[in-house]
Amino acid sequence: MKIPFFTALTGALLGFSLSKIGFSSWDQVHSMFVFADFRLLATFIFAAVILLVSWKLIARTTGARWTPRKVHPGTVGGGVMFGVGWAVSGACPSIALVQLGEGQLAAVLTLGGMFLGNWLYSVLHERLFRWSAQGCSDD
Amino acid sequence: MLFHWFSLHRMMAVSGRLSALIDRLRHGKVEPAPALSEEELLAAIQEVTAAEFSDFEKETADAVPDPGASSNVPGASSASRDEAPLLAPTRTTGEHLLFLLGLVLGGALAAGLGSWHGEFAIRSEQFSKLSGESGLLSSGLLLFGGICVGFGTRMAGGCTSGHGLCGTSRLQPGSLLATASFFGAGIATSFALGALL
Repeated sequence: MKIPFFTALTGALLGFSLSKIGFSSWDQVHSMFVFADFRLLATFIFAAVILLVSWKLIARTTGARWTPRKVHPGTVGGGVMFGVGWAVSGACPSIALVQLGEGQLAAVLTLGGMFLGNWLYSVLHERLFRWSAQGCSDD
Repeated sequence: MLFHWFSLHRMMAVSGRLSALIDRLRHGKVEPAPALSEEELLAAIQEVTAAEFSDFEKETADAVPDPGASSNVPGASSASRDEAPLLAPTRTTGEHLLFLLGLVLGGALAAGLGSWHGEFAIRSEQFSKLSGESGLLSSGLLLFGGICVGFGTRMAGGCTSGHGLCGTSRLQPGSLLATASFFGAGIATSFALGALL
């Protein structure tokens, strides 16, 4: 029972925070990307810095080690494609869901697109490539 | 993020959960192929037994000895990176759905349950300007954007949470490059879109 509980809770916490900060607003994300408003970017960087310090502390006190996330053939191409999609739709994967929760129901199209894109890629990858894209939560 | 690590013993990442759902849809339930040595298998069995019958974190954290088999790095078995790791409970489709639904709930709570209202639109001045009066264009843009995101995140192996936050904060080279790529592309695309506004 613990895992499902914490899984749902973390999802809710993340969704809540993202919404409050403004990441689920197309306008605010756009403003971030064109450097019109630095608030979102600053929040992102701040979060990353806090994590950086935290992981170091955690690694030191618990001896945890991470699986190295290497550069692989899909890193740049995939990243670029994601960025384009993010700018156009205003959403990264979590955001589409948050938008649905907020009542921006057209995000169902964005979400549908994400599933479709993910599916397309997995088919393509199986047929053409041998490298592993290495999911981020493998460790 | 930290909460996720402490409670679930994994890095928080979102696009990977979408990928897992797609895989489940495509392949049905698959048993992970164990590529473990005998002692790794034994350790894995012990781990699962302990999880089943006692306080998971405390027991295994205290049980120490081998740093290679540290419970704080689930799935540390060098044998199988891509297969579902046996050292941590395999994540189920149900869990993925719970997380994703959690995101929806979080959004709803933030918007205020009492005053919740939904509309088939994206609440944005700029986006509305971009798509003009055309419902078709706005739908098309969202769909196109979504496809790019789905395709790109799977190809890169992560999204803003996985690569952007968890990866860069640990200074992982793949994540740093991926994050730079998607921010760069996002910025360029947004400027291009801005020119159209």
